[in-house]
Amino acid sequence: MIVRLNTDLAAGILGLAFAALLWLPREEMGRLSIVFPRAMIILTVLVALALVVKAFVKPAERQIEIEGSPLRLVIAIAILFAWWYAIGLIGFLMATAIAFFGFTWFLARIEMSVSARRLIMWVPIMALLIGVFYVAFTEVLSVRLPTGSIWS
Amino acid sequence: MEMFFQALMSILTFEGLLTILVGVTAGLFIGSLPGLTATMALAVLLPFTFTMSPLQGLMALGAVYMGSIYGGAFTAILINTPGTPSSIATTFDGYPMARQGKAYEALVAATIASVVGGIVGVAFLLLLAPPLARLAVVFGPAEMFWVAMLGLTLVASLSSGSLLKGLLGGCFGILLSTIGVSPVGGETRFNFGIPALQGGIELIVALIGLFVVPEVLSMASQGRGALPESGKLEGGVGIAFRKMSRHIFGKPVNLIRSCIIGQIIAIIPGAGGNVTSLVAYNEAKRFSGKPDSFGKGNVDGVVASESSNNVMVAGSMVPLLTLGIPGAPADAIILGVLLMHGLRPGIDLFTETGVLTNGFVLSMGFAALFLLPVGLLGGRLIHRVVVKTPFYFMLPSIVMVTILGTYALRNSFLDVGLMLLLGTIGYFLRLIGIRAAPIVLGLILGIIAENGYVQTMLISIADPIPWLGLVENPLSKVLVALVLLSAATSLLPSWLERSGRMAKTTPDENPDRVNPKEEGKP
Repeated sequence: MIVRLNTDLAAGILGLAFAALLWLPREEMGRLSIVFPRAMIILTVLVALALVVKAFVKPAERQIEIEGSPLRLVIAIAILFAWWYAIGLIGFLMATAIAFFGFTWFLARIEMSVSARRLIMWVPIMALLIGVFYVAFTEVLSVRLPTGSIWS
Repeated sequence: MEMFFQALMSILTFEGLLTILVGVTAGLFIGSLPGLTATMALAVLLPFTFTMSPLQGLMALGAVYMGSIYGGAFTAILINTPGTPSSIATTFDGYPMARQGKAYEALVAATIASVVGGIVGVAFLLLLAPPLARLAVVFGPAEMFWVAMLGLTLVASLSSGSLLKGLLGGCFGILLSTIGVSPVGGETRFNFGIPALQGGIELIVALIGLFVVPEVLSMASQGRGALPESGKLEGGVGIAFRKMSRHIFGKPVNLIRSCIIGQIIAIIPGAGGNVTSLVAYNEAKRFSGKPDSFGKGNVDGVVASESSNNVMVAGSMVPLLTLGIPGAPADAIILGVLLMHGLRPGIDLFTETGVLTNGFVLSMGFAALFLLPVGLLGGRLIHRVVVKTPFYFMLPSIVMVTILGTYALRNSFLDVGLMLLLGTIGYFLRLIGIRAAPIVLGLILGIIAENGYVQTMLISIADPIPWLGLVENPLSKVLVALVLLSAATSLLPSWLERSGRMAKTTPDENPDRVNPKEEGKP
C-alpha cells in the first residue's frame, strides 16, 4: 500500500515531539544529570528543524510503501502485544500456547485453507517447540518465567 | 617458553580438546539465540566449571566466549537478527546475501573470518599484551568521549540515504541511553513515573526490538519466510568454502585491516565488540572500491564485522590479564573466575602462574580453530532448518524466542513490552527512512560519551573554560583529528556527488531489506 507522506517532515516532527517529551521533566534534575541530555536534546531539535526546513525546500521521499497487507500488519502487531499482555495475566506457558497456535493459524491461512484436521496435526509440533524452549529456559538456564497474575 | 609448552601439552589431551569442543558448541548455541549474549552464556555455564580443575574451567569459558560471539552471526545472517550485539554489522550484508540465495556463502565467510580473527587475537595477546596494556591506561574520560564521537561518525555510513535522518536516529539512540539513573549525577531521569525504568533501556532489549520485530512484522504482512526458496544451499560445503577462501585470502587487506581495528578497539576498556564490528564495517565500506554495494549483500561487510568481533574476544583480555580492567562485560566474568582460582591480574599472571594463563590463552586459539568444523556443520544444519521450516511456524517461533531472550535478561516483564514497543516504532521509523542501526549505535555510544563528557567537566571544573579539558591531552588532540578526518571522509563523497563533481551513484537500498528485484537471484 502506498501512502502519500513527506518523510522529511514526518521525521522532523517526530524528532521535535521526542525532544519535547524529554525537555519537559528536565527542571527537577541536578546539573550533572542534565548537562549531557540537555546538549543532546538541543542537537535533536536542531537536526529535526533542519529536516522540517528540508521538507519544504528540498523534500526527499513523498510517499511510503507498506509492503504486503496493512490489515495483516495491524493484526500481527495486535497479536504481539496481546501475547505480551496474556503472559502477565495467565502465565508464559498458557499464553504462549494460545498465542503460538493463533499466530500460526493466522499466518498459515495466507497460503492455504487450514482444516481442523491439519490444525490438530500441528498441535504436537507446537507443543514440542514450546516445550523444548520452556524446559531449556526454566531448567537449564534457571529463568523463572511468569506464572500469571490471575492464578495468584 | 617452558610454561608455554607445558600449557600446550595440557591442552593437547583428549580431555582438554573435548572441553574446548563442548565449550565452543554450547557457546555457539547460546550465542545464536537472540537476546542471549556472550556474557549470559558465560554466566550460565560458569557453575559447570566449579567442579573442573582451574585450567580446564578457564579453557571451557574461553571456548564458550569464542563460540558465543561467533554464534551471533548465524541468526544475523539467516533471519536478520543479531544473536549478540557484536553481530549488528553482520546483519547489514549477511541478511541481504541470504535473501539473494547466498546464505551459506555468508555463513562460510563469517566462519573463516571468525577463525582468522580469533587466532589473530590470540597471537596479539601472547606477543603484545604488556606493551598494549600500557596504551589502555592512557585512555581517560576525555579520550573516551572522543572515542565515542569517533564511533558516532559511523552514522554517516549507516544512515544509507539521508544523513539528517541518520543523525536524528543517532540522537534518538543517545537520548534513549539517558533514560534511568544518571551514571555521574546519580539521579533518576526520564522514567515518567515508572520505577522499572530506573535501570534504563537495556541495549539488548532495544537491539532485539529494533532488529527483530520490524522484520517479523514485515514477514507477517507479506506472508513470507525469512529466506526465499532460492536461499536453498546449492553445491556442497567444499564449494562454498573454496569460493569464500579465495575471495577472503585473495585480497586480504580487508581482513587484515579489520583485525587491526578489532585489536586496537578491544584494548580500550568499555568499547567492546559492539563498537569494534561497526567501526571495522565502516572502514571496509570506506576503503572499498564499491561502497554502494555495502548494505546490499557485499561479503566484505560480513568479513569485516566477524573478523573484528572475534579478534575482540582475545584482544579484550589484554587489559584484563595485565591490569585487571575488563574491556567488555563478558570479561568481568572471566575476571571473577580468575580471582576465584586465586589468580590476580598483573605480571605475576605471566610468570608465577604462567602455565594456567598461557593455557587459557591457547585454549581460545584452539577454540577459534574448532569454530571451523563446528561452524560449517552447524551453519549447514541451522540454514537447512531456516529454509525448510514453513514461515507460519518460523515466525511464532522467532517471537517466542525473542520474548524468552528479552525476559531472561533481567527477569523483567516490562523489558518484553519495551522490546515490542521499540520494535513496532522501529517498523514505522524504517518506513520514513530512519534505520535501526544509527539508533542502536547511539544507544551504545551514548553511555560512553556521557561518562567521558561529564567526568571531564568535573575534572576541569576549576578551569576558566572547563570544556577545554576535552582537548587538553595529546591523545585527545589526536582523537579529535581522527574524528574530523573520519567525518570529512564520510561526508566528502556525498558532498562531491551533490555538487556534481562526482558521478551520481544509485541510492542505497534499505540495509534491513533487499531489493525485491534482486530476490531469487542465484
